[in-house]
Amino acid sequence: MNRLLSFALPLGCLALVVALPLFKDLAPAIAGPYPLSLARSIFIYMALAISWDMLFRSGQVSFGIAGFFGLGIYGSALSVLRLGMSPWLSILAAGLFAALVALLIGFVVLRLRAIYFSITTLALAEIFRIVLHNGGSFTGGPEGLFIPKIISSDNATLYWLALSGVVVALAASSWFERSKIRFALTAIRNNELQAKSSGIGIFKYLLVAFVVTSFVQGIVGGIQLQSYGSSSPDSAFDANYTLLPLAMALLGGVYSTVGPVIGAVLLGFAAETLKLRIPYGHLVVYGIIIVLVILFMPDGLYGLWRKRARARRSARIDARMAAKGASRG
Amino acid sequence: MKKFVVALAVLALVAGASFGQNVIKIGAHWPLSDPGSAESAKAAQMAVDEINKAGGVAGKQLQLIVVDDEAKGDKGVAAIEKLVTVDKVDVLFGGFTSGVEAAIVPTLKKYGIVTVATGAATSGLVENPLGPSPDSDFYFHLHPWDYQQSQSEVDGFAALAKKYPAVKTQKLFIAYEEGAFGAPSFKGWKALLEPQGFTVDGASFKSALQGGSDYSGALQAAKDFKPDMFWWIGYAPDALPLLEQAKAMKFSPPIYLGAPPSWPADMAASPLAENTMLFGMWSPAMNKISPVSKKFYDAYSTAFKVAPVSYFSALSYSGIYILAEAIKKAGGVDKAKLIAALEQTKYVSPLGQTITFTASKVIKHQGIQNQKILQWQKGAQEIIWPFEAQSAPLTYPLPAWK
Amino acid sequence: MLVTRRSILWTVLGLAVAIAILMWKPTILVYGIERAGLYAAVAIPMALVLGIVHIVNLSHGEFMMVAAYATYFSARALKIDPYLALLPVSLVMALFGYVVYRLTIRQALKAPELNQLILTFGIAIALSQTVNLLFTGQSWKMSLSYVSASMSIGAYDFGVYDFVFVAAAILLAVGLRLFLTRTKMGKAALAVGQNAKGAAIVGIDVDRTYAFVFALAVGLVGALGAMFLTKQAIFPGVGGPYTMKSFCLVAMAGVGNITGVLWGSLALGLAEASMNGVRELRDWSSIVFFVLIIATILVRSVKEKKA
Repeated sequence: MNRLLSFALPLGCLALVVALPLFKDLAPAIAGPYPLSLARSIFIYMALAISWDMLFRSGQVSFGIAGFFGLGIYGSALSVLRLGMSPWLSILAAGLFAALVALLIGFVVLRLRAIYFSITTLALAEIFRIVLHNGGSFTGGPEGLFIPKIISSDNATLYWLALSGVVVALAASSWFERSKIRFALTAIRNNELQAKSSGIGIFKYLLVAFVVTSFVQGIVGGIQLQSYGSSSPDSAFDANYTLLPLAMALLGGVYSTVGPVIGAVLLGFAAETLKLRIPYGHLVVYGIIIVLVILFMPDGLYGLWRKRARARRSARIDARMAAKGASRG
Repeated sequence: MKKFVVALAVLALVAGASFGQNVIKIGAHWPLSDPGSAESAKAAQMAVDEINKAGGVAGKQLQLIVVDDEAKGDKGVAAIEKLVTVDKVDVLFGGFTSGVEAAIVPTLKKYGIVTVATGAATSGLVENPLGPSPDSDFYFHLHPWDYQQSQSEVDGFAALAKKYPAVKTQKLFIAYEEGAFGAPSFKGWKALLEPQGFTVDGASFKSALQGGSDYSGALQAAKDFKPDMFWWIGYAPDALPLLEQAKAMKFSPPIYLGAPPSWPADMAASPLAENTMLFGMWSPAMNKISPVSKKFYDAYSTAFKVAPVSYFSALSYSGIYILAEAIKKAGGVDKAKLIAALEQTKYVSPLGQTITFTASKVIKHQGIQNQKILQWQKGAQEIIWPFEAQSAPLTYPLPAWK
Repeated sequence: MLVTRRSILWTVLGLAVAIAILMWKPTILVYGIERAGLYAAVAIPMALVLGIVHIVNLSHGEFMMVAAYATYFSARALKIDPYLALLPVSLVMALFGYVVYRLTIRQALKAPELNQLILTFGIAIALSQTVNLLFTGQSWKMSLSYVSASMSIGAYDFGVYDFVFVAAAILLAVGLRLFLTRTKMGKAALAVGQNAKGAAIVGIDVDRTYAFVFALAVGLVGALGAMFLTKQAIFPGVGGPYTMKSFCLVAMAGVGNITGVLWGSLALGLAEASMNGVRELRDWSSIVFFVLIIATILVRSVKEKKA
């Protein structure tokens, strides 16, 4: 029964989320253009949060999400504008472009650890931004560029496009969790020396993780660009695309796929709701919420749930053992 | 059967009541954390309150609904979706950053609701995607486009040079912030001025808004160029440090002009600002010349206990009145009638000019097309050009640093 | 402090650059050093916190901003020079830092480092947005005549006021060094920074040390905020870029290496100023910051592997 629930529940949720736009006439309050456009924003951040968590499972903290996201934006835009690619294909091209860059710099950067790795990813994101900023008419320069038209003006299509970014991230994250990559990454995270001595090709797994997460971030960038039609170096590489997914993953619960999902929904909704209720000063409350959640739920929401579930399970086991003991004696 | 008819009648009454609202809704979006936009929101609300107190428009009251677009494209799109589909506004208003405006253009075109835009100057990002008439006819752009601003500024200096023969304008050096605001402006000015015989050179600097603090590279290049005019384009935090460093380098060009979108609060009090010039659209000096401006200024200062700081408030105020007049003329918010009525706009605005809508490079409905040239004199922004709005004579040249 | 081949290398590099630059534009050298002073002075308190409390304080720049605002409004109200307000403001900021530490950071110290990072990120948002709410997004700038103090070398006139920051940076580095090696509290702090568990066993009150160091750092960056106000305009977001710059500098120098921050800032300041002085390179002067950081980090990681 529990097994059925743990399988049916997430599947049911996913089905509901996918089918949401179909309810736009029945329930406009949750399926109309406004909630759908909000959902799109949340999906973008959600996919980024999931991808960040994937690399974090190896112990590496990336501050370069915005870098690969921005590369995806420009990859998609330039494919359409300079190579005449179709918008749909350009999104794939965006992901591949980001992945290629990650592959090339990964050889150099993945030898670093801890804060040095983090700062290097941050510096790289800034370097990408400045290079594109100085790219003259080819990249559109400081004011940015725009594509002739967005990929679709149908709300449902845009919603499903953003959702597909999440699906790609979920698929990659699932693969990471179910394959031997998971053990490799966890081993690296816990004790790299031990991992190395037990024969795990650390560099190989880190590179795979790095390239796959950058691919996801690039895809999401492509989706963003095709959905909104324009961007600029400052908006594509905005630091919020690094810090907010990180905060979302943390608040939801790291080292999981569900955590970043929950975190993105939580922070995304909070941001918009606060904005509508408190037009001046909503961001103060937003910052305070982040502080409070970190202080009172250090494992994130999902982490808290996991702990409680574990505690409940062990309490049940204890009770069962006690009952067995009582029935015997 | 009778019950059914009664039920139907009640239903019709209820439905009719919900359709025939006595309110005309104006949906506006601005980045509320920006001070100029916060002023715009307040000024717009003040205009709405004034109009409602005077009896409303076409027998209905106006209602202003403002959503923060946070200067982000995706939030801007969400804001428009909310205003149109949830709040069901009759007209759209507002806007400040070109980036957000560019992001919402596809959504605006999808709905085609009459829009009066108070911001967005970057034509490359906004006017081109909007496209020509008739697809963009719903869009009435109040704020001048970047190329219109540049052209008017060039015309202004040509007029000044003619009226004051001592003023030399031949060699121009422009220090521009390296981002999306300064760099394209420099390119635009250079492209406009060089064919007309000016010698133009420039240097970029990192704006203090982005953490820059050192203008020495640009200032030294400017000093070496020995220009007749020195213009800088950046943001409010650059204004005074730039002047202070110019003084430290003993760089005092005959004309020193700043073109930021807003000024720091202490600019007026600084002795360094004396006789520097600026581009702008309005200043309190307009109160001396335009009674409409004085009325607006006093009303705003009384209502909000602080004087308006930038021209955005006067612009936004004008926009609401322009909309109200047009709705009155059209007798309602029917799209075709409202567009026709807006096309006939002739509004005497607190900005010190009469606003009409004529065609710009791409779109059909462009409002203001020019900037003004002002000068800091004794702590106040005096208007120098256009001469019809001149509030004080030009002081030239900038005195050398003591 | 490590007098390794690396620090000698930087010295040589610095000298070479200085000589080369003096050949054509002496002011570049001057402005490079002045820039370096500002960067170093702001980064050093962050290095202190990172080295001892082991947290990256993403609200570092925001504390500086709050101090600048406090200085501005009190100096204006009392009609005094900001430097006179500097001491009281730093003391108030230190107290404020202590309160923030007690209320928030202390709880998060048991949690992973990432939690502390995002915690300070939340604090940064709360601080800058509160200031925005109270004082709007407008910029404020005091007009002080001494800020335009100038000197001439031949045909070149240049500003010399910014050497105040150079002096502040050197003072901070030397002062902290003395504090950490000569005073009881400082030596305890160093011990805690190197091994908190070991220090606790020896009887050092780790929590009190953390609180003190954090408050000290906020007080110091507060003093810098007061100085910053004289030179730059202040607005709610003014701290953000400086947090990032300090974070990069501190990582580049190596955790806890305060002298390294000085050298790194100098290299960065000179490199940026020289690119800024040349027309063709001007647009790329911000990239040199990040390229240098990556280069330093990579070089060090190769050296460590070899060791």
